[in-house]
Amino acid sequence: MIKYWWLGVIFIACLILPLFIGEFWIHVAIEILILGLFAVSFNMIFGYMGQLSFGHAAYFGAGAYATGLLMVKSSVPLPVCLAVSMITAGLLAVVIGYFCVRLTGIYFAILTMAFGQLLYYIIFQWYSFTGGDDGLQGIVPPDWLFSATSYYYFTLLIVTAGLIVMWFICESPFGYTLRAIRENADRTRFIGINVRKYMLINFAVAGMFAGLAGGLLGPFNRSIAPDLCNWHQSGVPVFMTVIGGPIGFFGPIIGSLIYTFLFAFVTGFTEYWPLIIGIVIIFVVLYMPGGILGLAKTKFKRRESKAPIVEEN
Amino acid sequence: MDASMIFAQFMSGLSRGMMLFLIASGLSLIFGVMNILNFAHATLWLVGAYICYSLWYLFQDYGFGLWLSIFLAALALAAIGVVIEVVLIRRVYKRELPEQLLLTYALVLVLGDLIKIIWGVEDKMIARPPLVEGPVFFFGVPFDSYFIFVLCVGFAVAFGLWWFLKKTRYGHIVRAAVFSREMVSALGIPIPKIYTGVFALGIFIAGLAGAVQAPVGSITLGMDMAVVIQAFCVVVIGGFGSLLGTFVSAIIVGEVYAFSILYWPQGALVMIFILTAFVLIVRPWGLFGTPTRA
Amino acid sequence: MVILKVEHLNKFFGGLQATCDVNYEMQSGELSAIIGPNGAGKSTFFNLLTGYHKADSGKVFFKGKEITNHPPHRIARLGIARAFQVSNIYLALTTYENVRQAILSQQRKTLNFFTPARRLAKEETLEMLDITGLAQHADRVAGNLSQGDKKRLELAIALGSKPELLFLDEPTAGMSGEETHETMKLVQSLNQKMELTILFTEHDMSVVFGYARLLTVLHQGSIIAEGSPEEVRSNEMAQKIYLGEEA
Repeated sequence: MIKYWWLGVIFIACLILPLFIGEFWIHVAIEILILGLFAVSFNMIFGYMGQLSFGHAAYFGAGAYATGLLMVKSSVPLPVCLAVSMITAGLLAVVIGYFCVRLTGIYFAILTMAFGQLLYYIIFQWYSFTGGDDGLQGIVPPDWLFSATSYYYFTLLIVTAGLIVMWFICESPFGYTLRAIRENADRTRFIGINVRKYMLINFAVAGMFAGLAGGLLGPFNRSIAPDLCNWHQSGVPVFMTVIGGPIGFFGPIIGSLIYTFLFAFVTGFTEYWPLIIGIVIIFVVLYMPGGILGLAKTKFKRRESKAPIVEEN
Repeated sequence: MDASMIFAQFMSGLSRGMMLFLIASGLSLIFGVMNILNFAHATLWLVGAYICYSLWYLFQDYGFGLWLSIFLAALALAAIGVVIEVVLIRRVYKRELPEQLLLTYALVLVLGDLIKIIWGVEDKMIARPPLVEGPVFFFGVPFDSYFIFVLCVGFAVAFGLWWFLKKTRYGHIVRAAVFSREMVSALGIPIPKIYTGVFALGIFIAGLAGAVQAPVGSITLGMDMAVVIQAFCVVVIGGFGSLLGTFVSAIIVGEVYAFSILYWPQGALVMIFILTAFVLIVRPWGLFGTPTRA
Repeated sequence: MVILKVEHLNKFFGGLQATCDVNYEMQSGELSAIIGPNGAGKSTFFNLLTGYHKADSGKVFFKGKEITNHPPHRIARLGIARAFQVSNIYLALTTYENVRQAILSQQRKTLNFFTPARRLAKEETLEMLDITGLAQHADRVAGNLSQGDKKRLELAIALGSKPELLFLDEPTAGMSGEETHETMKLVQSLNQKMELTILFTEHDMSVVFGYARLLTVLHQGSIIAEGSPEEVRSNEMAQKIYLGEEA
C-alpha cells in the first residue's frame, strides 16, 4: 500500500486544485475525470481482458440518456439517477455482451461497433422519446451542485470511488482471471474457468462504470446528444488508453489528461480538431507503441539488470 | 402496392447495391489479402467524388468532361492509395489490432478535415451531360439513365476483379499471398509490392465508386460516415475476402434498404445492423467466407 | 473403481480418422502410459477426453458419469487436469501467478471481486512450487524459464487444480537426464501418496518402461496392444510397428 503514496499526493492536489484555477479549467478538470472513468472502464475489457471493444460508447451514452431523461422528465435526485444509469448501462452490456463474447479479435471489435452504431441510430430516430438529433436540453444539476466548483468535487468523489472499486476488482482473483483469459484463454478453460461467462461479467461491469461516467456528463454539459453513442465517441477511450499505455491501471487516466487538455487547447484556436487529433494518433501509433507509460517503463527498465518481458502494475 | 412500385423499389435497391458493392469490394479485398480493416475506405471514396467534381469543373466545357474526370479521379485515388500504404499502412502490418484500427481511424479524421479545408463546406453538384440526363423506361416505369451507367460500372468491376483474381498470374499471386505470405516471398515474389498493389487497387475501386457516385445527387461532407458502416455490414455479411460474397451481400443490403424505406423508413439501417449482427454471431466468416479467418 | 471409461471413440479430421473405435478403461490409482509413433493420435485422444475436440461418435465416462463432448471447463471442474505437450502456460505472468491462478480456480475463489489476490492462496501456491522444484523461480516471468522448468510449471498448474485424474502429454520432453528422473519420481509419488490416477504419453522408452505399470500402444488411431510393460514388449505387432522404429 505504501508504494502508492503518490496517489495520495495526487488526490490532495486534486482537492486543492479549484483554489488555483479559473472556471474554464475547472470545467476541463471535470471532463478529464469523467472521460478518465470512461477510459478506465474500457481498459477493463481491453488491457485486462485483451479484447478491443469499438462500441464502448454505447454504455456511456446509455448512462447519459438514463440520467438525462430522468432529470428532465422527473424530479429524481441526481445520485439515484446515477445509480439508474449504472444499472441501465450494465443491463444493456449484458444483452449486447451475450452476443459479443462469442467472438474475439477483429470480429469482436466489429460486432461491438455495430451494436454501438445501432444504439446511436435508435436514439437518433426515436425523436419522441429522446429528442433525436436535437438531443436533450435543459439537464440542470440540483442547486447544491450548481456551481462548477461544487460539481467538480462531486465528480471527483464519484470518479474516485468508481476507480477504487475498479482497482479492487482488477487486483482481485476475478481480475487475475481476466488476465489469465487474456494471456491464454485455452489454458484458463482447462483449469475450470468458463471463459465466456467471465468475459460477459467483465463486459457488464465495464459497461456499468461507463454508464456512471455518462450519467455524470449530462448535468455537467447541461445537454446531451446521440453522438455520445457513436463510433467517434467509442474511439476516444481507445485512443486515451493507447496513448496512456494499456498495461497498468492508470494509463487511461493519463491518456484522458493528455486528450482533454489537447482538446481544450486546440479547439481554442482552430475548428480542425479532427485533423490535429488524427495526426497525433498517427504519431502515437507509429512512434510510441507502449504509450506514455510504456516510454516511462523502458526508461526505468534500463536500470534493472534482468528485464522481464512484460510486467503488471 | 402494385407491381410497378415493387419493380421500382427493386431497381432502386439494385442501384444502391451496386454502389455498395463498389465501395465494399475494395474494403473486402484489402482485408482479405492484408488483414487490415480500412476504416478510411469510405472517406477515400468521398475524396474520389470531390476530385471528380474538381476535374469536371475544369473540363466542363468539353462533352466528354465527366467521363474523363471519373477515370482520372480513380487514377488519382490509386496514387493516393500507394502513398498511404507506403508511408503509413506498411508500418503497422506487424502490430496489434488496436493500433491498426486506430491508424485507419485517424486517417478518417485527417482526410475528413482535409476535404473540408480543400473543398469547403458547401455541397457540390455536377451537371450531367445530356446523354444521361433524361429518364429511361423499363416496363413503362421511368428510371434514371445514369443508373444504367452505374450498373455497367458495377458489373464491369465485378467481372474485372474476378478475371484478375482467377485468370491472371498477378491475381494468382495475390490469392496465394492470402494463404501463405511466407511461401510467396520464398518464391522470390516481393510481398511488400503485392501489398502496395492490392491496397492501391482497392483504393482505385473506391475512387472509381466515388467518382461514379458524384453526379448522383450532390456531394456533401459527412457522406462517408453514413456509407462506411453500411460498407462494413456488406463485407461482414458477404464474408471478408470473398468477391462473390461482397457482390451478393451488397445486392441483399441494397434491397433490404430499398424495401425497408417503404414500410419502416427509420428502421432501414436498423434492419441492416440486425442482419449484420446475426451473421456475425451465427457465421462470423460471412455467407461466402472461409472459417480459417475467424 | 473404474475412474475412466472410453467406449467406441471416433474422431475424423476431414477425411483422416485420428481416433478409430478406441475402447479404454482405467482403474483409479493406476499409473499408465500411452505410446505410439508420431501421428498415432495420442494428443487427439487427450483432446477428446478433456473436451478440447468434439468426438464424432463414442462415449467417455468419468467416475461413472458421462462427460462426452462436455466443454473443457466443466470437465476440468469434475477433477480432470492436463499438462500439455507444448507448454501451455501464461508466458507473461510470473511462475507464482501461474500456479496461483490454477489454485484460485480450484478453490472457487475466482468470482471474488474485492479481496486482493496477492493475499490469497499463499501457502498452497508456495507448497506447490516447492513440490515441483520451482520455488526459486517464483517471481520470474514464465516466458523466461528454461524448457525443463516450463514443463515443470506445466505440471504445477495441472496439479493446482487438485485433480483426481491427470493426463501428462510428454512430461519430460526437453529435460536433462537428472530433471527427467526428478520429474518422474515426483509423478510416481503423486500417484502413490496422493492416489492420483495418471495417464501419460512419452517417447522416452526408459521413462515408459521405468515407471508405467500399464501400457497401451496406439497406431494410426487404433489400440494395437495393451498390458503390462513385459507383455507389450513381447507383443510382435507392437515391436514391428513401434518399438522396431525406436533408435
